[in-house]
Amino acid sequence: MTALIRVKTWWTILRICLEERLVYRGDFALGTLMRFLPIVTQIFLWFAIFEAVKDARNADDISSISLSGYRYTEFVAYYLLTMLSRAFSSMPGLASGIARQIRDGEVKKYLIQPVDMLGFMLLGRIAHKVAYYSVAMGPFALVFFLCRNMFSGLPAEAATHSLTTLLAFLTSLVLGFVLGYFLEATIGLIGFWWLEVTSILFIYMLFSFFLSGHMFPLDMLPQPWSTLVDLLPLKYLAYFPSAVFLGKVSGAELVWGLTVEVLWIVFFVALSRWLYYRGIKRYSGFGG
Amino acid sequence: MSPTSHPANPERPQYLRVFLTFARNSLVRDMTFRVNFLIESVAALSWMIANLGFYLLIFTFTDSIGERTGWGQYEFFVFLATTMLVNSVVQAFFMPNAQEFSELIRTGGLDFALLKPIDTQFLISLQRVNWSSLINFVAGAILLAFSVYQLVTRADNPLHLTPAAIILYPLFVACGIAILYSLMVSLAATSIWLGRNQSLYDFWFYITNFSRYPMEIYNGTFGLPLRWFFTFIVPVLIVVNVPARVLAQPLRPDTSLGIAMGLFGIGATMFCLAASRFVFRRSLLSYRSASS
Amino acid sequence: MSIIEIENLTKTYRVYQKQEGLVASLRGLFRRQHREVEAVRGINLAVEEGEFVAFLGPNGAGKTTTLKLLSGVINPVSGTARVMGHIPWKRENAYRRRFALVMGQKNQLWWDLPAQESFRLHQQIYRIDPAQFERTRDELTDLLKVRDLLRQPVRELSLGERMKMELTAALLHSPDVLFLDEPTIGLDVVAQHNIQKFLKHYQAERNITILLTSHYMKDVAALCKRVVIITQGRIEYDGSLSGIIDSFSGHKIITLQFAQDDAIDNMDRFGDVLEREPPRAKIRVPRAAVAKTLAAILAEHMIEDVAVEDPPLEEVIADLYASVDDAQAARERPPAEDPVSQ
Repeated sequence: MTALIRVKTWWTILRICLEERLVYRGDFALGTLMRFLPIVTQIFLWFAIFEAVKDARNADDISSISLSGYRYTEFVAYYLLTMLSRAFSSMPGLASGIARQIRDGEVKKYLIQPVDMLGFMLLGRIAHKVAYYSVAMGPFALVFFLCRNMFSGLPAEAATHSLTTLLAFLTSLVLGFVLGYFLEATIGLIGFWWLEVTSILFIYMLFSFFLSGHMFPLDMLPQPWSTLVDLLPLKYLAYFPSAVFLGKVSGAELVWGLTVEVLWIVFFVALSRWLYYRGIKRYSGFGG
Repeated sequence: MSPTSHPANPERPQYLRVFLTFARNSLVRDMTFRVNFLIESVAALSWMIANLGFYLLIFTFTDSIGERTGWGQYEFFVFLATTMLVNSVVQAFFMPNAQEFSELIRTGGLDFALLKPIDTQFLISLQRVNWSSLINFVAGAILLAFSVYQLVTRADNPLHLTPAAIILYPLFVACGIAILYSLMVSLAATSIWLGRNQSLYDFWFYITNFSRYPMEIYNGTFGLPLRWFFTFIVPVLIVVNVPARVLAQPLRPDTSLGIAMGLFGIGATMFCLAASRFVFRRSLLSYRSASS
Repeated sequence: MSIIEIENLTKTYRVYQKQEGLVASLRGLFRRQHREVEAVRGINLAVEEGEFVAFLGPNGAGKTTTLKLLSGVINPVSGTARVMGHIPWKRENAYRRRFALVMGQKNQLWWDLPAQESFRLHQQIYRIDPAQFERTRDELTDLLKVRDLLRQPVRELSLGERMKMELTAALLHSPDVLFLDEPTIGLDVVAQHNIQKFLKHYQAERNITILLTSHYMKDVAALCKRVVIITQGRIEYDGSLSGIIDSFSGHKIITLQFAQDDAIDNMDRFGDVLEREPPRAKIRVPRAAVAKTLAAILAEHMIEDVAVEDPPLEEVIADLYASVDDAQAARERPPAEDPVSQ
């Protein structure tokens, strides 16, 4: 019985979040459209670079050129895939939202009502993503369809050929969502100790932008940078799923990669729980 | 009515003095959160360093961006430095206000701005200054000086700096800043119509993203319409391209095109400023003031 | 000429009708249903210089909207208003220098800065002569007893102190007209009283014109000779505070102290019995019937003491709000379907 009630409560929360999302439709339509713009410039930039390299090497065609193991089409495919990964792992406004709620004292409501803040907000996020992508799926499908040529000529390990890779890719997307959520929630919870989290968030955004693989494939980096990036959890937010899809990570490396990702998730779940617990204690100690 | 009870000088408000007070108050505020200020400065700076790193990485694979476009490493770094100069000013003076604007609408705080006997757009768009962003202005200036020095002193085909370039560069940087300011004001004004506008910042980022690259990269079937669109409709390509070109590539074969671009840049700036003012005023008509 | 003249002022809002349920919300993405809400429906009002007028009315009656219209913050749908000869929503600087708006639920001072920094900004914006600025600021902060808090960041002030700072900020440029929207909301009794005292003193001394909205009858009773009651966007009453009872309450309350306890039992014949505490009773009697009823009671019973009073103001006003609500509901109810004709 209690389980059923719990599920019902969650469903209600989910539905409210979904409805709230849909009220702000202007925002919504704009956001969906805009998501596709940044990779456009990125693709143009790489095309210009490939052209310059072609010119310098006196090559006939850019298709014969590969930079750091990526052909031009693979670059495009990579950027499209990182978009998809980021669609799962990015959490706009989560950390700043938590910090704001702490600052404004809105966090009190989680002390009064029988809901868990992290759980409630996770549901909110899921609702956000579901609402967002139930509409954005169309444009996404269209772009991938138009760019289907970019996915031809991939190696046999790539998800276009292997079901196992496809499953691993989907798993890494979902794990990316969970990791992204708890990572940002952790940052937001620092707000219990630090009034303005914006600066920390800015640093996180900075690192995440460059070191998640959003900007360029991380395996292009020379040593020691590539090892450093490999040790951080950020690569799971964009680079890892895309690399899995393209068949750049396979076999034991893939299993190891996913295992480490799960470990990172466990770490951030624990850390965020602990911060929340300590933060609430500190907060009620203050007397609000 | 008692005409003696208010000040005797009902002429124009003193915009410069008010702006200086804004800047001063913002600095006082920043200094109360000193650690935060420091972190923000460092973060802003590292953002630029990371960007520079990305292009250093790219230039390990190629000598130039685009085929025979003249954007070699140091020419491009002049471009990058110009981007930093423009963006740091935008982030320091306009960005915090644009972000604040949708908040003012949501909370009804805009009411107070409308009461003040001073231009509302001025008040809304300039009342906060984010001093920490200006560190990138310094960084941009250093990168600019270094890159120009490299270009001028290189053995092969050194750059010759003309007085015209030195005069025109700051002028076009100012135009670029004005264009971005107009765009930002127009965007912020839309939050009166669209309600909560979380994606404002995203939108801003996506649009200005196009301005960060030399316009030559927008080529081919898809590129040319884009180049056209972002030059003539939403003229963000002018923002960095024109000043960077004036300084780093004054003697391109298509100089006449450069002159045309320059003239167009000035015209576009005027137009953008006027358009943003129009949009802002229109949006105020729709303001309905959140009830308490 | 009146300092404030309002004619047929009307303001409507379009409100997005949120649909219940998920499917309806999704549908709302593409097509929205709007509802016109009439916040102010053709208000006429004239206020003379030096008046202190209170706007009373239930939540959402249109009081705040009227103040916002008069401040030029929002534009009306139709009608005109002139304040000191200016049309507010033109937002001329000449007008904006001469009035102020204080809202109890919003603050305009910079949150993280000491109030004096915001004051200095006001001085620049309003171009107040520096010497006069300092004189006014010191005078106001002395009157409000917050002078020693000038250097403290606003976020560290109490609600009452903050309100006093807001008032100071609004009065720095010595406005001729002042709009106060629930200035004492959420304040404790002492702070409320202090602000009332200040406003009374300030208004009397400067003879400025003040419009005030408040839910606290104490504010109104202490400050305003003239009261305007607004409900459903219309003016229902305009006159003195005591006049409200004359116009809207047709009853008086008679309190009787009997000589014997048992006399109380059959009081129902004389009027509504409000209280029955032997040997005392309170009955409500139509105003016109007071003399006759009293005579009848006195003829039948031994009375030790008697008092005839007006009903409490709050009750009269609450009844008035409720009666307007009922009338509105009756007007908007769809006509009942006639089963015979179908």
